[in-house]
Amino acid sequence: MTRDWWKHLILILGVIVVLAPFYMMVSYSFKSPGEIDRGEGGFFGQQQLMVDERCVKLRDPDRNDIAAAADRFPGQSDSTIRDALAAEATAECSMRPVVFNYTKAFTEAPLLRYLLNGVIVTASIFLIQVVVALPAAYALAKLKFWGRDAVFGLVLFCLLIPVHAIALPLYIMLAKLGLTNTYAALVVPWTISVFGIFLMRQFFMTVPDDLIDAARMDGMGEFAIVWRVMLPTAIPALLAFAIFSIVAHWNDYFWPRIVVTGNRDLFTPPLGLREFKGDGDGSFFGPMMAAATVIVTPLIVAFLVAQKRFIEGITLNGMK
Amino acid sequence: MPAIEPSLPVAKTKAVAGHAAKERRAAWVLTAPALTLMVIVLLAPVIIAGLLSFTNYSLGNSGFDWVGTRNYEKLFTRATYEKMFLATLTYVVTVVPVSVGLGLGTALLINSLGRFREIYKTIYFLPVMATLLAMAIAWEFMLHPSIGMVNRTLEMGCGTFLEQIWPFMADGCADRFPVWLGDKRYAIWVICFIGVWQGFGFNMVLYLAGLTSVHRELYHAAEMDGAKSAWERFRLVTWPALGPTTVFVVTITCIRAFQVFDTIEAFWPQGGGPNKSTYVMMFAIFEKGIQQNLIGVGSAITMLFLAFVMFLTLIQRWLVERKVHYK
Repeated sequence: MTRDWWKHLILILGVIVVLAPFYMMVSYSFKSPGEIDRGEGGFFGQQQLMVDERCVKLRDPDRNDIAAAADRFPGQSDSTIRDALAAEATAECSMRPVVFNYTKAFTEAPLLRYLLNGVIVTASIFLIQVVVALPAAYALAKLKFWGRDAVFGLVLFCLLIPVHAIALPLYIMLAKLGLTNTYAALVVPWTISVFGIFLMRQFFMTVPDDLIDAARMDGMGEFAIVWRVMLPTAIPALLAFAIFSIVAHWNDYFWPRIVVTGNRDLFTPPLGLREFKGDGDGSFFGPMMAAATVIVTPLIVAFLVAQKRFIEGITLNGMK
Repeated sequence: MPAIEPSLPVAKTKAVAGHAAKERRAAWVLTAPALTLMVIVLLAPVIIAGLLSFTNYSLGNSGFDWVGTRNYEKLFTRATYEKMFLATLTYVVTVVPVSVGLGLGTALLINSLGRFREIYKTIYFLPVMATLLAMAIAWEFMLHPSIGMVNRTLEMGCGTFLEQIWPFMADGCADRFPVWLGDKRYAIWVICFIGVWQGFGFNMVLYLAGLTSVHRELYHAAEMDGAKSAWERFRLVTWPALGPTTVFVVTITCIRAFQVFDTIEAFWPQGGGPNKSTYVMMFAIFEKGIQQNLIGVGSAITMLFLAFVMFLTLIQRWLVERKVHYK
């Protein structure tokens, strides 16, 4: 341990650089605009009550408000009532910075909707990938048919094509079909995972033939074998693939940026965050960092809980 | 696969033949969805991009003209595209060696530790998991010229000995520290830095996995042969044993580096950075093809991009296939 102090020193310096933006993101999401501007308040900020100026402005009492409130303040002049109302508004618009930041994150933009879209899109992509890839992988691994080598060759060739690289022709095809700005556009290009086929095939190769022969003896069709015999044996590999796929598509920004233009109802979390950034002026750092924290948190928490599986899943590529 | 035994009775051979036909049919039914999607989603777009790169097509126009290789000529003659190649190349050539080197370095350091290995591993892997766009925005605040953490930290160095030994520091203290993202001298390096920050943990994890497969006996053998220093042991045992990992790590980092986009679009939604100094290929495809509807040029960039990526992957496969075979 003492001999290793210099190693720890280097690694800890690295840790500081790696964690700095995370630290700042979470810290800013707690602080008031003033504290962010002046760089005060430590990690959590002072959490002193702050006044939401926009909220006060919205509640600025006009003639009607004053008339309506007249019986609550009997016998007082209009200007006194006005001041009293303004004071009330200020009191009600005061809150702790952390509450302000997080409520703003969820109310200024439909963040919940974005998160829901993220879940819908990533889940559909993964499910369709499995439904398409698993039978093909089984056929390539365990069935003898003319053309098998050709099909597998095609899979190996398609592994060379990154989907992001062919985004432009894909976009043109979808535009011609009138499918831009739909869930379909967000999902379709990812429905085929050649990597998934390849991975599952390599896995199925290790499943003993006896298992399949036994299933056939029991009168199972090939289709039933895929879903009732092969699928259960493949759970660990599938779990790793699920993590790989979900992390990639939850975090993907490029493809949604291309096919979703303007229609907020379809925004995925990264797109929503981007729009938030476009809208905001300097005073919006806090809420924006709150939104960023909300978007980053689910995967990070899942990762911290199931580290081993995540590292396995993300580095799946290494098995190629 | 064992071949059918020649001594089988005739009736059984027939049954096997019937079964084989059934198996064939089942196989095609099972692969049909995957095959169809592969052709429509992956192959057709490549062909379409290839064809469109020789036209002046735009979405919304009814027709188009064949323009021969004019789109490609533009790519190699106009200054904008020169900047594109320069930015992409700078990024790839910086990020790949640095993030592979750092990945290997941290993996070796962590592997030699007795304690806290898991903690370091977890922390270094965090940026790989985090939504890059969100982290790009966080970095943008960190690099804010006046209230950002980076310049504030640098300001703390003013008035200390650092000013004497580091000209950058002296300049910063005398005048002001860089505006980072707004400065064409720094912009691309900031992008490179974030690329390394995000990606080296991934390489580290792959190297750590590779290191577990290096046999202890090899080190003993090397020591007996006179490899006394740590460097000798690394050169003679560790590095060769990590060969396959390195081939893979370098290729995947290259392919990822070519695809850099999120940070650039987040920092400069228009134009690709100060003086187009961060105008990388992915951003060019996005800007020309999608935003400006210049599909011919966009497709030509796409084809070049594909050529680069395929070339890299083929080199990797060639290197790997000398060792392992998929059958």
